[in-house]
Amino acid sequence: MTAALAAAHSRVAAAPFYFNTSASLLRITQYKANNPSELLDGLQNCPDDSIFQHSIRTLQEHHFIREGFTNDFAHWAASGCNEPMLAEALAEIDVREFTKLAEIRGRFVDAVRRFLDRAPETGERPALTVFHFCASDIVVIPTTFVAHDLREFADGVRGVTVHSLHHHFIEARLRLNLRSNDFSEWLEDLGMKEAADELNRIDIYSATLEDVREQILRIVDRSLI
Amino acid sequence: MEPVESQVESELTSTKVSAESGVVASRVSDRKSHAQVGTEKNPPPTAPPPRLDDYINIVGAAEIDELRTLAREVKGKTVKMVNSTALGGGVAEMLNQQVPLLNELEVKTDWDVISGGSDFFEVTKAFHNALQGGDYKLTQQARDVFLSYNQQNSERIHFTEDVVVIHDPQPAALIRSRQNQSGKWVWRCHIDLSKPNAEVWQFLRQFVEKYDASIFSAQSFTQQLPITQYLFYPCIDPLSEKNKKLDDSFIQKVCDEFGIDRSRPIVTQVSRFDRAKDPVGVVQAFKKARKFADCQLVLAGGGASDDPEGATVLKEVEEAANGDRDIIILDLPPWSALEINALQRASTVIVQKSLQEGFGLTVTEALWKEKPTIAGAVGGIPNQVIHKLTGMLAHSVDECAEQMRHLLTNPDFAKQLGKNGCEHVKENFLITTDLRRWLLLVQILLGER
Repeated sequence: MTAALAAAHSRVAAAPFYFNTSASLLRITQYKANNPSELLDGLQNCPDDSIFQHSIRTLQEHHFIREGFTNDFAHWAASGCNEPMLAEALAEIDVREFTKLAEIRGRFVDAVRRFLDRAPETGERPALTVFHFCASDIVVIPTTFVAHDLREFADGVRGVTVHSLHHHFIEARLRLNLRSNDFSEWLEDLGMKEAADELNRIDIYSATLEDVREQILRIVDRSLI
Repeated sequence: MEPVESQVESELTSTKVSAESGVVASRVSDRKSHAQVGTEKNPPPTAPPPRLDDYINIVGAAEIDELRTLAREVKGKTVKMVNSTALGGGVAEMLNQQVPLLNELEVKTDWDVISGGSDFFEVTKAFHNALQGGDYKLTQQARDVFLSYNQQNSERIHFTEDVVVIHDPQPAALIRSRQNQSGKWVWRCHIDLSKPNAEVWQFLRQFVEKYDASIFSAQSFTQQLPITQYLFYPCIDPLSEKNKKLDDSFIQKVCDEFGIDRSRPIVTQVSRFDRAKDPVGVVQAFKKARKFADCQLVLAGGGASDDPEGATVLKEVEEAANGDRDIIILDLPPWSALEINALQRASTVIVQKSLQEGFGLTVTEALWKEKPTIAGAVGGIPNQVIHKLTGMLAHSVDECAEQMRHLLTNPDFAKQLGKNGCEHVKENFLITTDLRRWLLLVQILLGER
């Protein structure tokens, strides 16, 4: 155990970590797309919370899928439009690279626009299914888990729902406007920068949220030994 | 003109029957014994509704804690649910499950059923069909009947709750009695409004627009409205007879009773004999797939004995099956939940090759049982079956056949689909998720956050 880790292990956090969770209610907006051109229109004009819903919130709704799901737009391009090139371009967009919804929207818009520039004949081709832009009303709720030290933190990670993990580990990026997450921020405050960085590198696209939980616990447990 | 309350009473009376139960149908080819089964066996008594803690083993203690925390925010708030029937149909079934759970969470929830004469229910039945795309000529008399019974009910039912939820079109005009009352009103639409009869929808819309919010079962079921539209997926109860875990001995007994060989792969479609469910297409797909992968087909349905069209469709299915011993056609009575559960659990692959569909709860049931599922991309099915991730979507007989063959010969892939499907249901389509949505709705509407 390094000196820094030993110090972190025995240290009580300056501020406890309160595990919260979030619950959401889906709204159906007026925007919908029957083809790739309408997808572009929708992406340009839909409310921010639609972008949030289909790129970030959807990762919670589909938290159990290990591979093959990145965002709702890419999935619709593949299964609704049968346009694998467009699907691939949309699937490449990794929400972890962004700290603002406007930036995420911009990348989706660019991806569809570039696709339509290269394949304009596909723009008006009717999709098999309609894409409905949704959005969500989100309520943050406390859980009973509070961590004052690393051991309590591990207990919290072990005990909360995947909704709480999503709230702190994925949604937090936009809340913090940082390329980080609530867990890493707290670990860093505890003097565990290495563990914080390692935790922040966990791949949310090739892991289920239960996998993410296991990986976080592995990192934290290693520090507790 | 028979008041609906007496209809309900009569329905209630008709379900107060002996506890005798058991396997209740046989192969359709054994027509005589089927007819006898239908008259001699009775539905089993209903079990008391589960309590919230009963779901801990299914969704986990943390999930139930979250529900209790959400409920604390709206503790003491009052909700009234209003629909048109106390028994029969998915809405009553859902309310029978949700109302006790909301009350257990101390969100005091009342459930009122509107009353009306046979003329009212004839009109609302016609509206129901027209709103789902059927032909209908809206007359002034139909409007008057609809409004008059809604007016009578609004005088009988008191709306003093914080949130009033009106289910489906029948009581939609009760919103007119909202005057001088402060509660929030929500219209919960359980039907597919995507292609409504324009005249009936225009008539109904004037009432719907007066609500604070609406709720639909799938994105594709909606109409443009000036009020907020929430999405509440229909849900299943994992503790119900249709979905609870079963002893393997019971599953074996049901299969033995129906002549199903569990040592060979079983492909099953559970749905009433209705052209919208394309049972003939399923037989055709099965015959193509079987050339490459040994299997049996089970078509378990109902409705053929009390619905002339169902009987016609059943005959078409029997003709398509052409006496094939590997095609097992079952016409089950309505109280066969345990047997359907057993058939689903015994299956290797489940098919729901619908050409038209509501939300498709038989798909939800199949996914919950971790069964690799092939389904038509219609109605609410694409919400459940994410192609190649939680199931397979089929758009034709050939595609359905190819997917049957693929799943039967790739068991690892099929198993992964089944696991994902079950998780998808656990996250999005269980009664506990629905409860979460109701609690959130009350909180959001009342601005408790």
